[in-house]
Amino acid sequence: MVNDSSTGEEKILTVAKIENGTVIDRIPPGKSLRVFEVLGIDSNYPYVVALAMRVPSVKMKVKDVVKIKGKALTSKEIQTLTFIAPHSTVNIIKNFKVINKTELTIPNKVEEIINCINPNCVTNAHEPVVSSFDIISKEPLVLRCVYCDRLLKGDTLQNQL
Amino acid sequence: MKGDLIQHLFTTRKLSKQDIENLFDLTKKIENNPDYYSEFCKGRILGNLFFEPSTRTRLSFESAMLRLGGKILGFTSSRDSSATKGESIADTIRMVNHYADIAVVRHYMEGVGEIAKQFATIPIISGGTGTQEHPTQALLDLYSLKKEFDKIDGLNIGFLGDLKYGRTIPSLLYSLIKYDNVKINLISPKTLRIRSNVENRLNDAKSDYLVTENLHEVLETLDALYVTRIQKERFLDPIDYERLKNSYKITPDTLQDVKDHFIILHPLPRVDEIHYDVDKLKYSRYFEQAKNGVWVRMALILKLLGVE
Ligand SMILES: [Zn+2]
Repeated sequence: MVNDSSTGEEKILTVAKIENGTVIDRIPPGKSLRVFEVLGIDSNYPYVVALAMRVPSVKMKVKDVVKIKGKALTSKEIQTLTFIAPHSTVNIIKNFKVINKTELTIPNKVEEIINCINPNCVTNAHEPVVSSFDIISKEPLVLRCVYCDRLLKGDTLQNQL
Repeated sequence: MKGDLIQHLFTTRKLSKQDIENLFDLTKKIENNPDYYSEFCKGRILGNLFFEPSTRTRLSFESAMLRLGGKILGFTSSRDSSATKGESIADTIRMVNHYADIAVVRHYMEGVGEIAKQFATIPIISGGTGTQEHPTQALLDLYSLKKEFDKIDGLNIGFLGDLKYGRTIPSLLYSLIKYDNVKINLISPKTLRIRSNVENRLNDAKSDYLVTENLHEVLETLDALYVTRIQKERFLDPIDYERLKNSYKITPDTLQDVKDHFIILHPLPRVDEIHYDVDKLKYSRYFEQAKNGVWVRMALILKLLGVE
């Protein structure tokens, strides 16, 4: 797994390449456990998963990497990952080759994955609509509900994911 | 509004200064000659969907539509009434699309405007939604200011009381910041300051506003003071309420050093935040203010129906 290092010590940690599946690379160091959490990776997870933490990286000094064999992430999972581990890359692997590489960048809008904090917001009632937020600041992260106009801070979003 | 692709009115944020001024021009014409407009909505129906009870706003809309020669239908229900239990706002709007030509929705929930945008095929006007906004009340308040001072630009306006839960406050602030050199003074206890999303929008508009707990810090500089009711249930500690209630009460004594042309507005109903003795003073405008509501709502109905 650790392609950008070659010392003997790290080779011990190297995980084999996968034939098909997803590699989440350049995860901010320490965030991979949260990645496990939001993807629902636990003892019952049906796929082969490899995790490497604090791997030396040329660009980031250290990073975490997660490999999932035989699994493609859903768009909802990718949207959620964006907020847990921004700037990570999601690589889709087919026949040992990267066929698609996407950097996770904070979008201008987010839908469905979180609920509005306002109990009186129509998105929390039995209405045929899904939650929708404009991201009005990326650093620090601030969201505004398209429906009730209420502001949500980044940590509120983190707690819900 | 017509031509500006504004089909519904749930927030004053979406109105431009020109939209507001055009509306007020028509309001003025209606006020000067209401008979001329008495058949403009003949054959049209206004649907009143009041998911939360209201007397003032509902009657004002009904009066407006009747004075335009139109008809009204609708319901008023309390939060627990079976009439609305279980039925979504979206479904109610889809139904009224077929029953009326224009509708008013008042609801205790917030975000109803987006639902109207997605499901309504007729123009929908907010009659107040949760603590979010009450745009028609704000427009009539603004019209009252305009009538008094002949302009909105350059005015120095104070807001007193419950600025957090009062739903007219955001609507009024969003319309005022469209004007030039308006100074806004937000006077309230710390716990009842404007919500962060409203302040965020004031900042985005680079508006000139001041936040204070002390009325006397700004009172002498004001052209107008907009007083709102502080409700007891907003306070965890009743002692806090008693103390604050009195510090924001307006009596003739409070007004000793105000400007000569100073006026007091209040959306009504009042409890005891303005003493009855103030009613007699030349500063009080809250009863005249209420009268303007029907004219403004008539103008709004005409604009949204496109039957000017
Ligand atoms: Zn909301």
